[in-house]
Amino acid sequence: MPRVFVSSVINAPAAKVWERVRDFNALPRWHPRIRESRIENGEPSDKIGCVRAFSLQNGDQLREKLLGLSDYDMFCTYAILESPMPLTNYIANLRLTPITDGDRTFAEWTAEFDCEDEAADDLVNGIGGNVFQGGFDALKRHFGG
Amino acid sequence: MVKIVKSTILEAPVEAVWAVLRDFNGHDQWHTVVADSQIERGQPSDKIGCVRRFHLADGAELREQLLMLSDIDMAFSYCLLDTPIPLLNYVAHVRLIPVTDGDMTFWHWESRFDTPPGREAELEKQVGEDIYEGGFRAVRDFMGLSSPSHGGGA
Repeated sequence: MPRVFVSSVINAPAAKVWERVRDFNALPRWHPRIRESRIENGEPSDKIGCVRAFSLQNGDQLREKLLGLSDYDMFCTYAILESPMPLTNYIANLRLTPITDGDRTFAEWTAEFDCEDEAADDLVNGIGGNVFQGGFDALKRHFGG
Repeated sequence: MVKIVKSTILEAPVEAVWAVLRDFNGHDQWHTVVADSQIERGQPSDKIGCVRRFHLADGAELREQLLMLSDIDMAFSYCLLDTPIPLLNYVAHVRLIPVTDGDMTFWHWESRFDTPPGREAELEKQVGEDIYEGGFRAVRDFMGLSSPSHGGGA
């Protein structure tokens, strides 16, 4: 089972970063690759089980389901229901931890999924680079470092 | 019950930091408050259950027992057995996580303990600042790393 792990340091208190990323429907506001997003069936975006349907800047459409959300531990877990990527059983976790030394944020984004062996490297690199590191880069820019 | 959480970023690969921290008997090499340390009964320092007996610079003797050590998770846990400092039911956890964006290390150090009534704040400060934050500085010095650049991140 391929695994993606990307982590970064964001120069802002964890509560501030969490405020920006906790909304499961807020990807277009903070992630440059996401064009638009909506929660299906008019559900609140912090209702466990809600589904976000969103599109990338390149037009790709995805649907993802919220599996877990914790304001106390500052993490969010979700699964892909539909995507153009050749993978199945995709589950990802985005987690923030305070760095007490300097009041900054340690951000981790992990994913596991199944796919054909030949496709694994491209998927791991694409998800890790474009989606996860791309998101962290955007947060670092937003928070000035 | 007091809970302490301290964390920092070291500008070194996680494997290099783990190589320093995983030796349960190595803290007298880097921590400025530890004068000397030995593992009791001649046991290896990565044997779960081993006890390190060490002295602080002021002569105080402490005994701590290794409860968990994991190379795959780069983590270990330990508890205090004997101490002249009134830290009761003290259990601590150390964990390293790689920062892939910049090849650095996130170091997380936390503990819980009880104290005699009224001494919570004093002991929280002593452990959090002298032992944990002092330990961060000491490992930075030991490894020849620069101080954290709070304005920079990665």
